[in-house]
Amino acid sequence: MLNNKMKKLEIGYGKVNKVHIGENLPLAFLGGPCAIESRDHAFKMAELIGEICLKVGISWVYKSCYDKDCRSSPESFHGLGKDDGLTILSDIRTEFKVPVVSDFSDAAWAPATGEVCDMVQVPAYLCRQTSILRAAADTGRVIHLKKGQFMSPWNMKNSVRKIESFGNNQILLADRGTFMGYNSLVNDMTSFPIMQKTGYPVCFDATHSIQLPTSMGNISGGQREFIPFLVRAAVGCGINALFMEVHDNPKKALSDANTVLDIKYLKNILEQAVLMHQTRLEILDKYGEDNVHPQ
Amino acid sequence: MFIHSDKFQITELMLTLEDFPVISENTILKEALDEMDKFHLGVACIIDFKGQLLGIITDGDIRRKLSLVQKPLSFFFMDDVILHAIDNPVTIIKETSLTEATNLMYKKKIWDLPVIEDNRLVGLLHMHSVAHALINTNQ
Repeated sequence: MLNNKMKKLEIGYGKVNKVHIGENLPLAFLGGPCAIESRDHAFKMAELIGEICLKVGISWVYKSCYDKDCRSSPESFHGLGKDDGLTILSDIRTEFKVPVVSDFSDAAWAPATGEVCDMVQVPAYLCRQTSILRAAADTGRVIHLKKGQFMSPWNMKNSVRKIESFGNNQILLADRGTFMGYNSLVNDMTSFPIMQKTGYPVCFDATHSIQLPTSMGNISGGQREFIPFLVRAAVGCGINALFMEVHDNPKKALSDANTVLDIKYLKNILEQAVLMHQTRLEILDKYGEDNVHPQ
Repeated sequence: MFIHSDKFQITELMLTLEDFPVISENTILKEALDEMDKFHLGVACIIDFKGQLLGIITDGDIRRKLSLVQKPLSFFFMDDVILHAIDNPVTIIKETSLTEATNLMYKKKIWDLPVIEDNRLVGLLHMHSVAHALINTNQ
Protein backbone atom coordinates (compact mmCIF):
# COMPACT_ATOMS: atom_id res chain seq x y z
CA MET A 1 0.00 0.00 0.00
CA LEU A 2 1.18 3.49 -0.77
CA ASN A 3 1.73 5.68 2.23
CA ASN A 4 0.23 8.89 0.98
CA LYS A 5 -3.45 8.16 1.57
CA MET A 6 -4.95 6.81 4.73
CA LYS A 7 -7.42 3.98 4.54
CA LYS A 8 -10.93 4.83 5.65
CA LEU A 9 -12.54 2.15 7.79
CA GLU A 10 -16.21 1.39 8.16
CA ILE A 11 -17.06 -0.67 11.21
CA GLY A 12 -20.46 -2.27 11.29
CA TYR A 13 -22.56 -4.67 9.28
CA GLY A 14 -26.31 -5.03 9.23
CA LYS A 15 -28.48 -2.80 11.35
CA VAL A 16 -25.99 -1.06 13.60
CA ASN A 17 -24.81 2.53 13.63
CA LYS A 18 -21.73 2.33 11.48
CA VAL A 19 -18.52 3.87 12.75
CA HIS A 20 -16.11 5.48 10.33
CA ILE A 21 -12.47 5.92 11.18
CA GLY A 22 -9.92 7.74 9.07
CA GLU A 23 -8.07 10.90 8.28
CA ASN A 24 -9.98 14.11 8.94
CA LEU A 25 -12.97 12.19 10.23
CA PRO A 26 -14.42 12.75 13.70
CA LEU A 27 -12.69 10.90 16.49
CA ALA A 28 -14.22 7.49 17.18
CA PHE A 29 -14.39 5.71 20.52
CA LEU A 30 -13.91 2.04 21.33
CA GLY A 31 -14.91 1.22 24.87
CA GLY A 32 -16.49 -1.06 27.39
CA PRO A 33 -15.61 -3.31 30.28
CA CYS A 34 -12.42 -5.31 29.75
CA ALA A 35 -14.24 -8.62 30.14
CA ILE A 36 -17.85 -9.61 29.72
CA GLU A 37 -18.66 -10.22 33.38
CA SER A 38 -22.31 -11.11 33.06
CA ARG A 39 -25.17 -10.49 30.69
CA ASP A 40 -26.74 -7.90 32.99
CA HIS A 41 -23.50 -6.06 33.53
CA ALA A 42 -22.64 -6.04 29.82
CA PHE A 43 -26.05 -4.60 28.98
CA LYS A 44 -25.85 -2.05 31.77
CA MET A 45 -22.46 -0.85 30.55
CA ALA A 46 -23.62 -0.68 26.95
CA GLU A 47 -26.56 1.45 27.99
CA LEU A 48 -24.51 3.79 30.20
CA ILE A 49 -21.69 4.25 27.71
CA GLY A 50 -24.12 4.65 24.84
CA GLU A 51 -25.92 7.47 26.66
CA ILE A 52 -22.65 9.26 27.33
CA CYS A 53 -21.44 8.88 23.74
CA LEU A 54 -24.75 10.24 22.50
CA LYS A 55 -24.41 13.29 24.73
CA VAL A 56 -20.81 13.86 23.71
CA GLY A 57 -21.59 13.28 20.06
CA ILE A 58 -18.97 10.62 19.44
CA SER A 59 -19.55 7.45 17.46
CA TRP A 60 -18.51 4.32 19.27
CA VAL A 61 -17.86 0.60 19.21
CA TYR A 62 -18.68 -1.53 22.24
CA LYS A 63 -15.64 -3.48 23.37
CA SER A 64 -15.66 -6.41 25.72
CA CYS A 65 -13.90 -9.76 25.62
CA TYR A 66 -15.31 -13.22 26.18
CA ASP A 67 -12.04 -14.90 27.10
CA LYS A 68 -9.11 -13.18 28.77
CA ASP A 69 -6.33 -15.55 27.93
CA CYS A 70 -3.42 -13.37 29.02
CA ARG A 71 -4.23 -12.97 32.68
CA SER A 72 -1.22 -13.12 34.99
CA SER A 73 -2.75 -15.75 37.27
CA PRO A 74 -4.70 -18.92 36.50
CA GLU A 75 -6.95 -17.90 39.40
CA SER A 76 -7.97 -14.65 37.70
CA PHE A 77 -11.33 -14.34 35.99
CA HIS A 78 -10.95 -15.80 32.53
CA GLY A 79 -14.28 -14.80 31.02
CA LEU A 80 -17.63 -16.29 30.17
CA GLY A 81 -16.25 -18.21 27.24
CA LYS A 82 -16.72 -17.92 23.52
CA ASP A 83 -20.27 -19.15 23.10
CA ASP A 84 -21.93 -17.32 25.97
CA GLY A 85 -19.83 -14.21 25.43
CA LEU A 86 -20.56 -13.93 21.74
CA THR A 87 -24.26 -14.46 22.36
CA ILE A 88 -24.24 -11.50 24.74
CA LEU A 89 -22.30 -9.35 22.26
CA SER A 90 -24.70 -10.30 19.50
CA ASP A 91 -27.66 -9.32 21.67
CA ILE A 92 -26.02 -6.02 22.58
CA ARG A 93 -25.59 -5.27 18.88
CA THR A 94 -29.28 -5.91 18.33
CA GLU A 95 -30.49 -4.05 21.39
CA PHE A 96 -28.32 -0.95 21.15
CA LYS A 97 -27.50 -0.86 17.42
CA VAL A 98 -23.86 -0.48 18.34
CA PRO A 99 -21.02 -2.30 16.56
CA VAL A 100 -19.07 -4.63 18.85
CA VAL A 101 -15.47 -5.77 19.09
CA SER A 102 -13.86 -8.58 21.03
CA ASP A 103 -10.38 -9.99 20.88
CA PHE A 104 -9.57 -13.64 20.31
CA SER A 105 -6.50 -15.47 21.56
CA ASP A 106 -6.81 -18.69 19.62
CA ALA A 107 -6.98 -18.85 15.84
CA ALA A 108 -9.77 -21.41 16.11
CA TRP A 109 -11.99 -18.81 17.83
CA ALA A 110 -11.68 -16.30 15.00
CA PRO A 111 -14.48 -17.49 12.67
CA ALA A 112 -17.10 -17.38 15.42
CA THR A 113 -15.78 -14.02 16.62
CA GLY A 114 -15.97 -12.57 13.14
CA GLU A 115 -19.40 -14.06 12.62
CA VAL A 116 -20.78 -11.91 15.43
CA CYS A 117 -18.40 -9.00 15.89
CA ASP A 118 -18.15 -6.01 13.57
CA MET A 119 -14.48 -5.76 14.41
CA VAL A 120 -12.02 -8.39 15.62
CA GLN A 121 -9.16 -7.52 17.89
CA VAL A 122 -5.69 -9.01 17.87
CA PRO A 123 -4.22 -8.94 21.38
CA ALA A 124 -0.97 -7.03 21.76
CA TYR A 125 0.94 -10.10 22.95
CA LEU A 126 -0.09 -11.93 19.78
CA CYS A 127 0.39 -9.09 17.31
CA ARG A 128 3.02 -10.88 15.25
CA GLN A 129 1.63 -14.42 15.37
CA THR A 130 1.06 -15.39 11.76
CA SER A 131 -1.71 -17.88 12.54
CA ILE A 132 -3.62 -15.28 14.55
CA LEU A 133 -3.17 -12.60 11.87
CA ARG A 134 -4.31 -14.99 9.16
CA ALA A 135 -7.35 -15.96 11.20
CA ALA A 136 -8.18 -12.29 11.81
CA ALA A 137 -7.81 -11.49 8.12
CA ASP A 138 -10.00 -14.41 7.13
CA THR A 139 -12.94 -13.06 9.15
CA GLY A 140 -13.23 -10.25 6.60
CA ARG A 141 -13.93 -7.84 9.44
CA VAL A 142 -12.04 -4.69 10.34
CA ILE A 143 -9.06 -5.73 12.46
CA HIS A 144 -8.04 -3.85 15.58
CA LEU A 145 -4.34 -4.67 15.70
CA LYS A 146 -2.63 -3.72 18.92
CA LYS A 147 1.06 -2.97 18.93
CA GLY A 148 2.82 -5.38 21.25
CA GLN A 149 4.49 -3.74 24.21
CA PHE A 150 7.71 -5.30 22.93
CA MET A 151 7.34 -3.98 19.39
CA SER A 152 8.66 -0.84 17.77
CA PRO A 153 6.01 1.11 15.88
CA TRP A 154 7.89 0.72 12.61
CA ASN A 155 8.08 -3.06 12.97
CA MET A 156 4.28 -3.18 13.05
CA LYS A 157 4.52 -2.82 9.30
CA ASN A 158 5.47 -6.51 9.23
CA SER A 159 2.18 -7.48 10.86
CA VAL A 160 0.29 -5.14 8.54
CA ARG A 161 1.96 -6.74 5.54
CA LYS A 162 1.04 -10.19 6.79
CA ILE A 163 -2.61 -9.21 7.10
CA GLU A 164 -2.57 -7.62 3.65
CA SER A 165 -0.99 -10.73 2.20
CA PHE A 166 -3.93 -12.71 3.62
CA GLY A 167 -6.34 -10.49 1.72
CA ASN A 168 -7.56 -8.04 4.34
CA ASN A 169 -6.83 -4.33 4.16
CA GLN A 170 -9.05 -3.03 6.92
CA ILE A 171 -6.78 -2.40 9.85
CA LEU A 172 -6.80 -0.09 12.85
CA LEU A 173 -3.40 0.02 14.55
CA ALA A 174 -3.33 0.72 18.27
CA ASP A 175 -0.66 1.71 20.73
CA ARG A 176 -1.04 0.51 24.29
CA GLY A 177 2.36 1.45 25.64
CA THR A 178 5.84 0.05 25.27
CA PHE A 179 7.84 -1.93 27.81
CA MET A 180 10.32 0.18 29.71
CA GLY A 181 12.41 -2.32 31.63
CA TYR A 182 10.33 -4.58 33.85
CA ASN A 183 6.72 -4.06 34.95
CA SER A 184 6.57 -0.64 33.39
CA LEU A 185 5.33 0.99 30.20
CA VAL A 186 6.11 4.26 28.49
CA ASN A 187 4.08 6.03 25.85
CA ASP A 188 5.89 7.16 22.78
CA MET A 189 3.64 9.57 20.94
CA THR A 190 5.77 9.38 17.81
CA SER A 191 4.33 5.91 17.31
CA PHE A 192 1.12 7.42 15.91
CA PRO A 193 2.58 9.22 12.87
CA ILE A 194 4.97 6.31 12.37
CA MET A 195 2.20 3.71 12.32
CA GLN A 196 0.00 5.97 10.18
CA LYS A 197 2.75 5.72 7.56
CA THR A 198 1.51 2.18 6.93
CA GLY A 199 -1.52 3.85 5.37
CA TYR A 200 -3.92 2.86 8.14
CA PRO A 201 -5.56 4.88 10.91
CA VAL A 202 -4.34 4.59 14.48
CA CYS A 203 -5.93 4.28 17.88
CA PHE A 204 -4.67 5.08 21.37
CA ASP A 205 -5.48 2.58 24.09
CA ALA A 206 -5.40 4.94 27.05
CA THR A 207 -6.30 2.55 29.83
CA HIS A 208 -3.79 -0.18 29.04
CA SER A 209 -1.12 2.46 28.46
CA ILE A 210 -1.13 3.37 32.15
CA GLN A 211 -0.81 -0.27 33.16
CA LEU A 212 2.09 -1.47 35.27
CA PRO A 213 2.26 -4.97 33.83
CA THR A 214 2.16 -7.70 36.48
CA SER A 215 3.59 -5.20 38.92
CA MET A 216 1.58 -6.58 41.80
CA GLY A 217 2.93 -10.09 41.76
CA ASN A 218 0.13 -11.98 40.08
CA ILE A 219 -1.86 -9.04 38.74
CA SER A 220 -1.13 -5.80 36.93
CA GLY A 221 -1.18 -2.42 38.56
CA GLY A 222 -1.90 0.89 36.94
CA GLN A 223 -1.69 4.65 37.23
CA ARG A 224 -5.08 5.69 35.99
CA GLU A 225 -4.55 9.25 37.15
CA PHE A 226 -2.52 9.76 33.99
CA ILE A 227 -5.29 8.74 31.60
CA PRO A 228 -6.50 12.30 30.85
CA PHE A 229 -2.96 13.55 30.25
CA LEU A 230 -2.18 10.81 27.80
CA VAL A 231 -5.54 11.11 26.04
CA ARG A 232 -4.95 14.82 25.39
CA ALA A 233 -1.42 14.13 24.18
CA ALA A 234 -2.45 11.29 21.87
CA VAL A 235 -5.38 13.19 20.36
CA GLY A 236 -3.07 16.14 19.81
CA CYS A 237 -0.72 13.81 17.99
CA GLY A 238 -3.39 12.89 15.49
CA ILE A 239 -4.96 9.59 16.55
CA ASN A 240 -8.05 8.60 14.64
CA ALA A 241 -9.72 6.61 17.41
CA LEU A 242 -9.56 6.39 21.18
CA PHE A 243 -9.85 3.17 23.17
CA MET A 244 -10.64 3.04 26.88
CA GLU A 245 -11.88 0.26 29.06
CA VAL A 246 -14.66 1.53 31.27
CA HIS A 247 -16.34 0.13 34.35
CA ASP A 248 -19.07 1.30 36.68
CA ASN A 249 -17.21 -0.03 39.70
CA PRO A 250 -13.49 -0.47 38.96
CA LYS A 251 -12.70 -1.89 42.39
CA LYS A 252 -15.04 -4.77 41.63
CA ALA A 253 -14.00 -5.18 38.00
CA LEU A 254 -13.21 -8.81 37.25
CA SER A 255 -10.44 -7.90 34.82
CA ASP A 256 -7.96 -5.01 34.74
CA ALA A 257 -9.38 -3.50 37.91
CA ASN A 258 -6.34 -1.26 38.31
CA THR A 259 -6.53 0.29 34.88
CA VAL A 260 -10.18 0.54 33.81
CA LEU A 261 -11.63 4.02 33.85
CA ASP A 262 -14.45 4.74 36.26
CA ILE A 263 -17.43 5.58 34.10
CA LYS A 264 -18.04 8.72 36.14
CA TYR A 265 -15.03 10.27 34.33
CA LEU A 266 -15.91 9.07 30.85
CA LYS A 267 -18.02 12.01 29.68
CA ASN A 268 -15.45 14.54 30.84
CA ILE A 269 -12.57 12.79 29.10
CA LEU A 270 -14.48 12.12 25.89
CA GLU A 271 -15.55 15.75 25.69
CA GLN A 272 -11.95 16.83 26.05
CA ALA A 273 -10.86 14.34 23.42
CA VAL A 274 -13.48 15.51 20.93
CA LEU A 275 -12.61 19.16 21.53
CA MET A 276 -8.90 18.41 21.24
CA HIS A 277 -9.49 16.52 17.99
CA GLN A 278 -11.53 19.37 16.51
CA THR A 279 -8.92 21.89 17.63
CA ARG A 280 -6.17 19.86 16.02
CA LEU A 281 -8.05 19.80 12.72
CA GLU A 282 -8.55 23.56 12.98
CA ILE A 283 -4.84 24.02 13.66
CA LEU A 284 -3.95 21.95 10.60
CA ASP A 285 -6.48 23.88 8.57
CA LYS A 286 -4.94 27.17 9.65
CA TYR A 287 -1.26 26.26 9.59
CA GLY A 288 -1.21 23.47 7.03
CA GLU A 289 -0.12 19.88 7.36
CA ASP A 290 2.95 19.16 9.39
CA ASN A 291 5.76 19.46 6.90
CA VAL A 292 8.97 19.32 8.87
CA HIS A 293 10.93 16.80 6.86
CA PRO A 294 13.95 14.81 7.99
CA GLN A 295 17.18 15.63 6.26
CA MET B 1 44.40 0.30 -28.47
CA PHE B 2 41.17 0.55 -30.42
CA ILE B 3 38.05 -1.05 -29.06
CA HIS B 4 35.21 -1.90 -31.40
CA SER B 5 32.56 -0.99 -28.92
CA ASP B 6 29.79 -0.56 -31.44
CA LYS B 7 29.94 -4.11 -32.65
CA PHE B 8 27.82 -4.90 -29.58
CA GLN B 9 24.10 -4.33 -29.15
CA ILE B 10 22.87 -3.28 -25.72
CA THR B 11 20.59 -6.30 -25.71
CA GLU B 12 23.60 -8.62 -26.00
CA LEU B 13 25.22 -7.23 -22.89
CA MET B 14 22.37 -6.16 -20.64
CA LEU B 15 21.19 -8.24 -17.73
CA THR B 16 17.65 -9.44 -18.20
CA LEU B 17 14.96 -9.03 -15.57
CA GLU B 18 15.76 -12.38 -13.97
CA ASP B 19 19.40 -11.49 -13.48
CA PHE B 20 19.26 -8.38 -11.34
CA PRO B 21 17.14 -7.09 -8.44
CA VAL B 22 13.74 -5.86 -9.58
CA ILE B 23 11.49 -4.90 -6.70
CA SER B 24 8.22 -3.12 -5.99
CA GLU B 25 7.95 0.32 -4.44
CA ASN B 26 6.77 -0.88 -1.05
CA THR B 27 9.51 -3.41 -0.64
CA ILE B 28 11.18 -2.47 2.62
CA LEU B 29 14.79 -1.33 2.52
CA LYS B 30 16.07 -4.46 4.27
CA GLU B 31 14.48 -6.67 1.63
CA ALA B 32 15.97 -4.49 -1.09
CA LEU B 33 19.42 -4.97 0.44
CA ASP B 34 18.85 -8.72 0.61
CA GLU B 35 17.90 -8.77 -3.07
CA MET B 36 21.02 -6.80 -3.97
CA ASP B 37 23.11 -9.29 -1.99
CA LYS B 38 21.44 -12.21 -3.71
CA PHE B 39 22.50 -10.95 -7.11
CA HIS B 40 25.86 -9.59 -5.95
CA LEU B 41 24.91 -6.22 -7.37
CA GLY B 42 24.94 -2.79 -5.80
CA VAL B 43 21.75 -1.70 -7.46
CA ALA B 44 18.05 -2.52 -7.46
CA CYS B 45 15.42 -1.29 -9.88
CA ILE B 46 11.99 -0.37 -8.55
CA ILE B 47 9.00 -0.87 -10.80
CA ASP B 48 5.24 -0.49 -10.54
CA PHE B 49 2.69 -3.15 -11.39
CA LYS B 50 2.87 -2.19 -15.06
CA GLY B 51 6.61 -2.74 -15.16
CA GLN B 52 7.38 0.96 -15.40
CA LEU B 53 10.58 2.07 -13.76
CA LEU B 54 9.88 4.20 -10.67
CA GLY B 55 13.45 4.56 -9.52
CA ILE B 56 16.66 2.85 -8.63
CA ILE B 57 18.57 2.47 -5.43
CA THR B 58 22.26 1.80 -5.17
CA ASP B 59 24.87 1.09 -2.53
CA GLY B 60 25.92 4.71 -2.84
CA ASP B 61 22.40 6.02 -2.19
CA ILE B 62 22.19 3.97 0.97
CA ARG B 63 25.71 4.97 2.04
CA ARG B 64 24.83 8.65 1.68
CA LYS B 65 21.59 8.16 3.60
CA LEU B 66 23.37 6.39 6.45
CA SER B 67 25.18 9.57 7.35
CA LEU B 68 21.98 11.63 7.16
CA VAL B 69 19.26 9.48 8.67
CA GLN B 70 18.82 10.26 12.35
CA LYS B 71 16.67 7.33 13.32
CA PRO B 72 17.44 3.81 14.52
CA LEU B 73 18.80 1.47 11.89
CA SER B 74 15.92 -0.91 12.63
CA PHE B 75 13.52 1.90 11.66
CA PHE B 76 15.54 2.76 8.54
CA PHE B 77 15.38 -0.88 7.41
CA MET B 78 11.57 -0.80 7.61
CA ASP B 79 11.19 2.20 5.29
CA ASP B 80 9.65 1.61 1.90
CA VAL B 81 12.59 1.48 -0.49
CA ILE B 82 11.05 4.12 -2.71
CA LEU B 83 11.61 6.71 0.04
CA HIS B 84 15.34 6.42 -0.46
CA ALA B 85 15.47 5.74 -4.19
CA ILE B 86 16.52 7.99 -7.05
CA ASP B 87 13.27 8.69 -8.83
CA ASN B 88 14.74 10.13 -12.03
CA PRO B 89 17.55 7.71 -12.89
CA VAL B 90 19.56 7.96 -16.07
CA THR B 91 18.25 5.32 -18.47
CA ILE B 92 18.97 4.09 -21.98
CA ILE B 93 16.99 2.31 -24.68
CA LYS B 94 17.95 -0.85 -26.51
CA GLU B 95 19.02 1.18 -29.52
CA THR B 96 21.52 3.25 -27.54
CA SER B 97 25.03 2.54 -28.80
CA LEU B 98 27.52 0.96 -26.45
CA THR B 99 29.84 3.95 -26.93
CA GLU B 100 27.08 6.31 -25.91
CA ALA B 101 26.11 4.16 -22.93
CA THR B 102 29.72 3.87 -21.76
CA ASN B 103 30.20 7.60 -22.07
CA LEU B 104 27.06 8.13 -20.00
CA MET B 105 28.43 5.88 -17.27
CA TYR B 106 31.70 7.78 -17.33
CA LYS B 107 30.19 11.26 -17.32
CA LYS B 108 27.58 10.51 -14.67
CA LYS B 109 29.96 8.39 -12.58
CA ILE B 110 27.50 5.51 -12.50
CA TRP B 111 27.85 1.77 -12.96
CA ASP B 112 24.39 0.83 -14.08
CA LEU B 113 21.95 1.94 -16.73
CA PRO B 114 18.38 0.64 -16.73
CA VAL B 115 17.19 -0.23 -20.22
CA ILE B 116 13.69 0.94 -21.12
CA GLU B 117 11.40 -0.16 -23.91
CA ASP B 118 7.84 1.12 -24.33
CA ASN B 119 8.03 2.71 -20.89
CA ARG B 120 8.82 -0.64 -19.30
CA LEU B 121 12.03 -1.81 -17.71
CA VAL B 122 13.53 -4.59 -19.85
CA GLY B 123 17.09 -4.86 -18.63
CA LEU B 124 20.10 -3.37 -16.92
CA LEU B 125 23.43 -2.53 -18.48
CA HIS B 126 26.07 -3.11 -15.82
CA MET B 127 29.68 -1.95 -16.02
CA HIS B 128 30.98 -5.51 -15.50
CA SER B 129 29.31 -6.79 -18.66
CA VAL B 130 30.56 -3.84 -20.66
CA ALA B 131 34.14 -4.13 -19.44
CA HIS B 132 34.18 -7.88 -19.89
CA ALA B 133 32.89 -7.65 -23.46
CA LEU B 134 35.31 -4.93 -24.46
CA ILE B 135 38.32 -6.64 -22.96
CA ASN B 136 37.50 -9.94 -24.61
CA THR B 137 37.05 -8.20 -27.93
CA ASN B 138 40.69 -7.23 -27.90
CA GLN B 139 42.14 -10.54 -26.84
